Amino acid sequence: MRRLPALGVAALLASCTPRGAPPLNETVMTAPGAAFAWPATDSAHVLHFLDRLTFGPAPGDIARVQQIGYRRWLDEQLQPGRIADTMQDAVRRQYALAFEPPAQLWREYPPPQLARQLAMRSGRADMLPGGADDSMLIRRTQMAQRQLGGQVVMATLARHLASERQLQEVMTDFWFNHFNVFMGKNQDRWLTADYVEHAIREHALGRFEDLLMAVAKHPAMLVYLDNAVSHARGINENYGRELLELHTLGVDGGYTQQDVQNAARILTGWGVSGPLRGGFQFEFHDRAHELGEKTVLGVKFPSGHGMDEGERLLRMLAAHPSTARHIAHKLCARFVADDPPDGCVDHAVAAWTRTNGDIRAVILAIVESDDFWAPENMRAKLKSPLEFVVGALRATGAGPDTSARLGFVLNQLGQPLFMQQVPTGYPERMDEWVSSGALLNRMNVAVAIAAGRLPGMRVDLDPLIPPTSDRDALVAEVNATILGGQASPNALRVIRQQIDDVRDPRNARTLAVGLALGSPDFQKQ
Amino acid sequence: MSDCSCNRPADMSRRVFVKAGALSLVSLGLDPLFLGRAAYAMRRPGRTPGSKILVCVFQRGAVDGLNMVVPHAEPSYYADRGRIAIPRPGSGEGAAIELDGRFGLHPRLAPLKPLWDLGSLAIMHAVGSPDTTRSHFDAQDFMESGTPGVKSTRDGWLNRALLHRAEHVATPFRGVAFSQQLPRALQGSAPSLAIPELAVFGIRAPGPARDKLTTAFEQLYGGEATGIIASTAAESFEAVQLLRRANPTQYVPERGAAYPRGPFGHAMQQVAQLIKADLGMEIAFVDVGGWDTHINQGAGSSGQLAGRLDEFGGALGAFAQDLGDRMADVVVLTMSEFGRTVAENGNAGTDHGHATAMFVMGGGVRGGRVAGTWPGLEREQRYEQRDLAVTTDFRDLFAEVASKQLGITDLDAVFPGYDVSAERFPGVLI
Repeated sequence: MRRLPALGVAALLASCTPRGAPPLNETVMTAPGAAFAWPATDSAHVLHFLDRLTFGPAPGDIARVQQIGYRRWLDEQLQPGRIADTMQDAVRRQYALAFEPPAQLWREYPPPQLARQLAMRSGRADMLPGGADDSMLIRRTQMAQRQLGGQVVMATLARHLASERQLQEVMTDFWFNHFNVFMGKNQDRWLTADYVEHAIREHALGRFEDLLMAVAKHPAMLVYLDNAVSHARGINENYGRELLELHTLGVDGGYTQQDVQNAARILTGWGVSGPLRGGFQFEFHDRAHELGEKTVLGVKFPSGHGMDEGERLLRMLAAHPSTARHIAHKLCARFVADDPPDGCVDHAVAAWTRTNGDIRAVILAIVESDDFWAPENMRAKLKSPLEFVVGALRATGAGPDTSARLGFVLNQLGQPLFMQQVPTGYPERMDEWVSSGALLNRMNVAVAIAAGRLPGMRVDLDPLIPPTSDRDALVAEVNATILGGQASPNALRVIRQQIDDVRDPRNARTLAVGLALGSPDFQKQ
Repeated sequence: MSDCSCNRPADMSRRVFVKAGALSLVSLGLDPLFLGRAAYAMRRPGRTPGSKILVCVFQRGAVDGLNMVVPHAEPSYYADRGRIAIPRPGSGEGAAIELDGRFGLHPRLAPLKPLWDLGSLAIMHAVGSPDTTRSHFDAQDFMESGTPGVKSTRDGWLNRALLHRAEHVATPFRGVAFSQQLPRALQGSAPSLAIPELAVFGIRAPGPARDKLTTAFEQLYGGEATGIIASTAAESFEAVQLLRRANPTQYVPERGAAYPRGPFGHAMQQVAQLIKADLGMEIAFVDVGGWDTHINQGAGSSGQLAGRLDEFGGALGAFAQDLGDRMADVVVLTMSEFGRTVAENGNAGTDHGHATAMFVMGGGVRGGRVAGTWPGLEREQRYEQRDLAVTTDFRDLFAEVASKQLGITDLDAVFPGYDVSAERFPGVLI
């Protein structure tokens, strides 16, 4: 279990119960017509395929695709429940906090006021850290909450890194970013882990409508976009707006300010139960709900309805053609090109329409399109900082240590996990991520990984790239292992030249791997 | 290349642009980057008289202009903001700071009052975008591209300002964002840097290893023929070299200036630091977030807005104090994508609105006044009966600053599709 050495992962076979989406059905999944003509499985094409559909190839991944072919690999990945996930249990043990119910976390990692209240109630005020000194209490609780945040981030990073269900992990990242919440906001400190696990990951490869509904009914979203405090007597339109603009129709999806307000009115009452009453569950509050008649996108919602009209609204939005186009475009931007070709988007929309928003069918349609494989779209995207870090660790067979510090590396690179404040999530486009500070930071992280100095991780290069004094062999091995055999002539030349005067084989290897990971070749996907 | 560069094809990278356009650029008085390197050997970019600097501060999330600069003479302000109105000046704790009988500053902006009194601070009220979107994303995009309503604009207005400024010293530091990523406003073909932290900018390794790695990475990225990755890397390595010579690590603010703790205070200190390092910075860009106050925004002394304005005002005050006389060359312009509803919402917060307020501070400012046309706050005076109406197009304000502070004459190129006219300048600068 090279990839997660610190976890000491035994080969524990997780139970393979499929859940969420119905089983894969060939006729649903594939559009009528001739079968897709897949390209050859040379390393350039397979690297492209894996760079887009996983967090980057780990040792052996390219060979596996070459062995079983693109379509079978995809069929497997599109049914994550059937892939034995050997590291799941290890992650649950190592980062147990990330799997506890939010209400329990809240008691264990209470905000300062609650810590004080609980202590007072049990007559143990003297046991509070710092006694009567509140500043000490606040510092202590803040520290504890940072710890909690670190565990939640690590539970996700560890699975991005080592899960065999790579496509599910990629889609978990995609959908979390699409339905962004900010872990720093109010109760979302305790809710985000549950949100990622149950609202996002469970539906990441299911039907869009189910995903949208799960998100809309998750307290983390209701807190983040303030719907939990919206009330018939005082509407808060924050969630209503982002639901239309970001989550479904898209900013040009053809809605008005009036639609935003009415969506917000329909969703009044969608709230969260108080933490002391079994807490942190989705709850519909009759008394907060506005009963009047509403119209959204020209559709009438008669007066006198309750929670059902919110569900009706969500189903209507999920089925709207603007939603299909908006999300197909976003998926194509993720998988194909920052400015996706119309053909790819049309293809994805057709699959969406045919299957009523089956996410698996849409992904398959995107990969089975000529645009996905067009030469101009290969190596044409930049890895996001998350893709870069996770990809570098996968390529080097590295794993997290026990410190939960790996998350800080992403903060440094400008993409702190679960900490994007704005509902738009992180950008997808290359020009948004390329900047001087960001590039230099990537180089620094690359060198740190190669040298085993990156905080929060462990790496042992020996099994992958044994030290050797044959410098040409070293460069070839680094190219094969780190760069999928696709290093540019310039990268090969520079790396070869730079290691020439490094006498110690281990130092030469560190330098070669660091330069490879920090090279422009590795930043692209 | 003197016409609008905003619609260059996507594949025309900075590097291609620089190489292909080298001669024409020189003839326009613009030194491309690689000529700048040679020039640098002969002259260190120094403080030349009249070298003006613009510092842009973006309050992301749509700041509530009405609680930042309080229209305390408006009865409907108090009628519609029962829980969050800032009390009239002189009415005790948490009251607004009187400015001119009509407007007052939020009490946490007290550090800005001395600048107002000295005439170094002007306020632009009821300013905003002619585009009426209430989407943060779109509105920020429009304000940074400088082309409201047009999404296809590829570069930012500050980048175009750099392109169209006639006189400058060739240095990679012309436009600097003090952040991890380059903001939309500075993206484009003129070289700009994103520097999250001056003290550790560059390859981090002990002495000889650092030099070796720097050289190696420079060669690796030099092999990229074209594209934004190649050009950005080239600019970065040049900047690293220059910055190392300027040695910015041991910085002590002058005149007892105390920057507030927090990212914005720290960023403003770094702006001051880079200004004093004389590396030729012309435009600095700083983000400050936390303004999307939908809930419990608070009134004068407490709440989310008070906390954010505390750092905001404290940092701007410290910056002016730290720079001292050097402020004569500097203008700070604050901006935010839109304002917030006049009426408070059901959660003692405010929702997305329309016009907001912006500050202009520094040398050459016609300060001590609230500029612009005040539209009034009565229901029928509001935009859609709900928001403070926009009476000044933000481009008129930005164009005046670009013209008078940066000396740009080709303003139509900086604000394509807009008929810039000096007659509509709000008159915040001399």
